Amino acid sequence: MAKKEKLIANEPRDILLAIDLINNGARLQVLEIETTLSRDRLIKLYKELQGVSPPKGMLPFSTDWFLTWQPNIHVSLFILIKKQLEASAGLSGIAAISKAYQIYLEQIPPEPGQDPVLSFTRAWTLVRFLSSSMLSSTDCKKCGGEFIIRPRGGFRYVCGLCQPPSRAGKTRKLALANAVPGSALA
Amino acid sequence: MRTTDILIEIRDSNLSYLMLAQQMIRSDKPAAIFRLGISEAIANLLDSLSNAQVIKLASGASMLTRFRFDDAAVLGMLTHDKKERSLSQPHSAILLAAQAVNDIH
Repeated sequence: MAKKEKLIANEPRDILLAIDLINNGARLQVLEIETTLSRDRLIKLYKELQGVSPPKGMLPFSTDWFLTWQPNIHVSLFILIKKQLEASAGLSGIAAISKAYQIYLEQIPPEPGQDPVLSFTRAWTLVRFLSSSMLSSTDCKKCGGEFIIRPRGGFRYVCGLCQPPSRAGKTRKLALANAVPGSALA
Repeated sequence: MRTTDILIEIRDSNLSYLMLAQQMIRSDKPAAIFRLGISEAIANLLDSLSNAQVIKLASGASMLTRFRFDDAAVLGMLTHDKKERSLSQPHSAILLAAQAVNDIH
C-alpha cells in the first residue's frame, strides 16, 4: 500500500474513517495502515470510543481459517458484496471494505449476544490475502456461486453449501432452536 | 382474483417498489445498489425521478420488477433441498450477490 501523504486537510476525513473502523471492531494495525493519524492519537481515539485499550498482539496471519466450512460461507459472501460495490457503486479501497462489512452483517446477522463469524479485521485481512494471491476464488460447479479457495485449487470445485459436511449446522444450540416451534432463527 | 384487481395490485406493487427504491438510494446509494441489484446509472435515474414521473412509470399494466432467481435448477435447489434454514439463507445471499457481479462484467 502506498504511503499516504500527511495533510492537515485530510485529518477530519481520517478521523471520521477511524471512528467508523473502530466502531466496526477494527484492530489498531488496520487503523495505522488505512489512516495517516499517529499511533498515539489512534490509541486515544480507540479508548474514547470503546472505553478500553486496543487489544495487543499480531493480526491473524493464517489463511486456513478462511477455508474452514462455516467461515468460508461468510467470507465468500463478504467478498462478493465488496466486488459488487466496487463494480457497480464505484466504491474502492477501505470505503468498499467498510460498506461491504456493514451489508454482510445485515445479510447474515450474528445470533443475539454473539460476535459475528467474520470480524472486521479478518475481513480486511482477507482482502490483503486475496490481493497478494495467498487465497483466490472460483465458481462452484453446481450452484454457480463464487467462493474463496486456496490458490490454484479451483478444478471442479463444489462449494460447502451444495455439499455440506454431514454434521454442518447441527449444533446442539440449533437443534434446540428448531425443536421449539416458532422460535426465530436468523 | 379478477383481472382488474390484479392490475390494481400490479400498479400498487410498482409504486411501492419505486418509492422504496428511491428512499433506499437517497439514504445510502452504494447499499441500495447492492440490495436492489441495479446499476449505478439506474440508481441515479430513479433518484432523479419526480413524484409525477414515478406515478406515471408505476401505472402501466405489467410489473416493473422481475424475479432475480432466473435459473430454475438453482431455485429448485434453494427451495426444495432439505437444508437447514441457517444454510439456505446465506446460500441465496451468495447466489444473488454472485449473479449481480457477473451481470455487470
